[in-house]
Amino acid sequence: MRLTTSGSARNIGDAIIGRLTTQDLPRDLRRDHVRLVPKGGPLPGEVAGYRAVLSHNDFPTDAPVIDRLRESDHFRDGDVVVLEGANGFVRSLYRPYEQHHSLFVTERCSSNCLMCSQPPKDKDDVEMLTRRNQELIRLMSPAPEYLTITGGEPTLLGDHLFGLIEQLRTSLPDTELHMLTNGRTFAWPDYTRQFAAVGHPNICLGIPLYSDNAGDHDYIVQAVGAFDQTVAGLHQAARNGIRTEIRVVLHALTIPRLTRLVEYIYRNLSFVEHVALMGLEYIGYTPRNIDALWLDPFDYQQELEKAVEYLAMRNMTVSIYNHQLCVMKPSLWPFARKSISDWKNLYLPECERCSALEDCGGLFKWAVKKHSAHIHTL
Amino acid sequence: MARSFYPLEKFAPHPQHVSLLPFQFTRLNGEELLVNEAGEFLFAPDGTVRALAEGRVGATSELYKDLKAKHILYDDTSSPLLDVLATKIRTKCDHINGGTKLHIFVVTLRCEHSCHYCQVSRQTATKGEFDMSHETADRAISLMFDSPSPHVTLELQGGEPLLAFDMIQYIIARAKEQAAIRDKGLSIVVTTNLACATDEMLGYLRDEQVKVSTSLDGPAFLHNTNRPRPGNDSYERAIDGIERARAIVGYNNVAALMTTTSASLDHVEAIIDEYVRRDFHAIFLRPISPYGFAIKTKGRTGYEMERFLEFYKQGLAHILNINRSGYRLAEVYSQILLQKILTPNGTGYVDLQSPAGEAWNVLVYNYNGDVFASDESRMLAEMQDWTFRLGNVHKDSRRSLFTSEAALSMFEASCNQSLAGCSDCAFQSYCGADPIYHHATQGDMYGHRPTSGFCTRNMAVIKHLFSFIREDDPETMGIFWSWLTNSPLPAKRAVCA
Amino acid sequence: MVDTAQSEAPSGVLAVVRVNHDLVSVEALLKTCYWFSRDFVCGVSHSEPGQSTVELKPKPTCLTSPQDAKEQFIAQAMDFALRERITAKTSDVRDLLLAKAFSESGVLEETPQGVFGDMVEEENPSGMFKILSNG
Repeated sequence: MRLTTSGSARNIGDAIIGRLTTQDLPRDLRRDHVRLVPKGGPLPGEVAGYRAVLSHNDFPTDAPVIDRLRESDHFRDGDVVVLEGANGFVRSLYRPYEQHHSLFVTERCSSNCLMCSQPPKDKDDVEMLTRRNQELIRLMSPAPEYLTITGGEPTLLGDHLFGLIEQLRTSLPDTELHMLTNGRTFAWPDYTRQFAAVGHPNICLGIPLYSDNAGDHDYIVQAVGAFDQTVAGLHQAARNGIRTEIRVVLHALTIPRLTRLVEYIYRNLSFVEHVALMGLEYIGYTPRNIDALWLDPFDYQQELEKAVEYLAMRNMTVSIYNHQLCVMKPSLWPFARKSISDWKNLYLPECERCSALEDCGGLFKWAVKKHSAHIHTL
Repeated sequence: MARSFYPLEKFAPHPQHVSLLPFQFTRLNGEELLVNEAGEFLFAPDGTVRALAEGRVGATSELYKDLKAKHILYDDTSSPLLDVLATKIRTKCDHINGGTKLHIFVVTLRCEHSCHYCQVSRQTATKGEFDMSHETADRAISLMFDSPSPHVTLELQGGEPLLAFDMIQYIIARAKEQAAIRDKGLSIVVTTNLACATDEMLGYLRDEQVKVSTSLDGPAFLHNTNRPRPGNDSYERAIDGIERARAIVGYNNVAALMTTTSASLDHVEAIIDEYVRRDFHAIFLRPISPYGFAIKTKGRTGYEMERFLEFYKQGLAHILNINRSGYRLAEVYSQILLQKILTPNGTGYVDLQSPAGEAWNVLVYNYNGDVFASDESRMLAEMQDWTFRLGNVHKDSRRSLFTSEAALSMFEASCNQSLAGCSDCAFQSYCGADPIYHHATQGDMYGHRPTSGFCTRNMAVIKHLFSFIREDDPETMGIFWSWLTNSPLPAKRAVCA
Repeated sequence: MVDTAQSEAPSGVLAVVRVNHDLVSVEALLKTCYWFSRDFVCGVSHSEPGQSTVELKPKPTCLTSPQDAKEQFIAQAMDFALRERITAKTSDVRDLLLAKAFSESGVLEETPQGVFGDMVEEENPSGMFKILSNG
């Protein structure tokens, strides 16, 4: 599902965030809203009090506006969007009706994983995105059940991250947070203590670990010292009562020592509450490094089964994400989760008549370019 | 500005300097078993240890990576993560944390059984003379709660404790009162042969949430041979007691322990089958302790360690078959050792700890107020050997008990890391120290390892378990893990092409 | 070299082993004798400087053949010598590990090495990693 569209921006400045409405709201209710004029719909007479206007057709006004919108069929009332003055982009930030929600906090990252699905940019966007996210959190209604804080590397926000989590704690107290981080900053005990002191009652860190030894892990994440910091970070988090889970992306560089990795996790990191074994996404850096990374999931089912059994037998919670059921051993189906975000998933022609369609998570939409040779109807 | 990707060599350069971390090793079936300081093990090809000592393990080999991940070597290309290893070592020694957790109260020496292996006087005297007094009980309860542990277990023993039922009632009431005042958790268990257990008594135990631990040595012929009583009906009474206790106190609150005698040694499968017949799901194949009357009546109950090891191995094989058929039955001794070998944890089982659990983790308060470092040391006292009597509740505080001559000399011999024979042993992390056993059997707290029954037994059992671990049969390991995680047996996997 | 002599052994002695202390220290030798003392009486004498001779005299419990006894003795002695080498290389770090394992105060906790930031962070004079990192 579309995330971004664009048009011709006027009177906007940096950016404006608001909640979409196609309805004519009474004046005193317009304050948080962006008035969307649907395609072919009548132009509103006056728009005072709205934060901005979006329109397919030309809309002359002194109010902040983006008109000549390219698409709008992906918008629904209640969506929170950001209008960017510089380029006329309209990005959807929050869709209440979706299952998965994210808070994107920066494109900066201290690692540079070979298979990164969101390649980092070395441009400081922290101030700008933090202002945007502060407003977004205010507008998240109804409150989501779960929210993933993601980037880039969220801990690069420094104090701003603590501020955002604090704001989430007070304004969305029942929302469970999941923060994707490389965990390296947590190796510094002072940082971890500060993080724990924010006192959010319901947050879990999702931290990737790709090998049981530094050389291989550091190569995969393209950062010297990353393994040591990540393992130390996991330990500091545990010591400070911060919940953690471990994520492993499955590809040619992680599969060979996968059973050793889960053993390492069990013996050194058994406090983690979950281990997620994830399929490779053909996006971001992956296409560039595909020769080093590609392994047809069908061909690594043995290793995957051994690793899953190892953890399950020891009562550790393990899930498999981003794999299609037809490609997996049936013994592993109980561990597969429908994990692909709504805006990312797709099914192939073979899937249409598949008996397992309901239970299967499907594929990533970019998987049309690269997927297992063994997708078939069950 | 786009970032570049760098090759593996930048992140895994050839190390300039390789260092070792402390580890033990032994040879098993043509391979080497290496065990690190936190009890993690690794099977490696013959010659690996020598290669490690000489710095010859190739840095690009999978073996090198395995050794690094298992904290046996490290190099200058990455951190040895000493804090992580130290945390693992600390976790293994968690039994020290909190001090004494198990407090055994010998409420009376009176008993109507005369078991051959009994480590207690066979007193059939009248009430009073060999019963714990109120004053003694009060002092013992006070000392129990002086333990730093936030939770203590009170075990009521004897003789036969139910013969002093009103004393039990007194102690339980006082202990609960004190637990609330001192803000400590309290669990209570009574060790009884159930022969004189009335429904009223069982109802009381249920109401007070007391667990029951009883004896079941095997089928009738064996149980009654081991445990004579007037009427020779110990077995029948035990079964009747178990059924009533399960009904009244609750199925999950009744456990059975067996004692092995030389008569038992030829009947391991029958004993196990009896436990299955009686719907028990745990059995503890323990050797008879060489204390008390067992030494005196060695003719009846003496036996060689070799025979016990046969008994154990045959028993474990039978138990595994029973598990394979779908009936979950854990063998407790194996489970304790497997926990130490396969998991990051240590054990709460007093006899297999280092520092030894005696006094640190268990104290025995005799009917007359004498305080002993373990049940076994009380049995030695029955034969006038007072070596391990720490003091008496009427004149000692916790501090004076733990700084007594008896305690201090025992502590010196309590860490297997510093005992002859143990200090180089690959199984050091899995085994323990037992100064009281060695004093009783060899006349020396430190013990002589090559002739020690404790050593022979544990080494053989540990090697036996390692043979299963090395074989790594999925079904067998699945059974072990169901014991370790207290989960149901794994579902049978469909055999398909 | 550790070698053995057999033919001139006095009666009752199962095997004789000559030990060169360049390869197997006195300590390692005594540890080996300790374990063999279950089945043998081990008579150790200093034949020459840097060398010892061990006479293994079987006890009634002994079931080992002379050849096996010699081989096992040599193998065990070499293993104890190996253990000594390992211990020598690791005793310092072992002390440190145990001190860390049982320290209450966290004083012995290591500070992490390296940097955790990105290029933007590195260029920032008051950046987080400058404050937190150890250089």
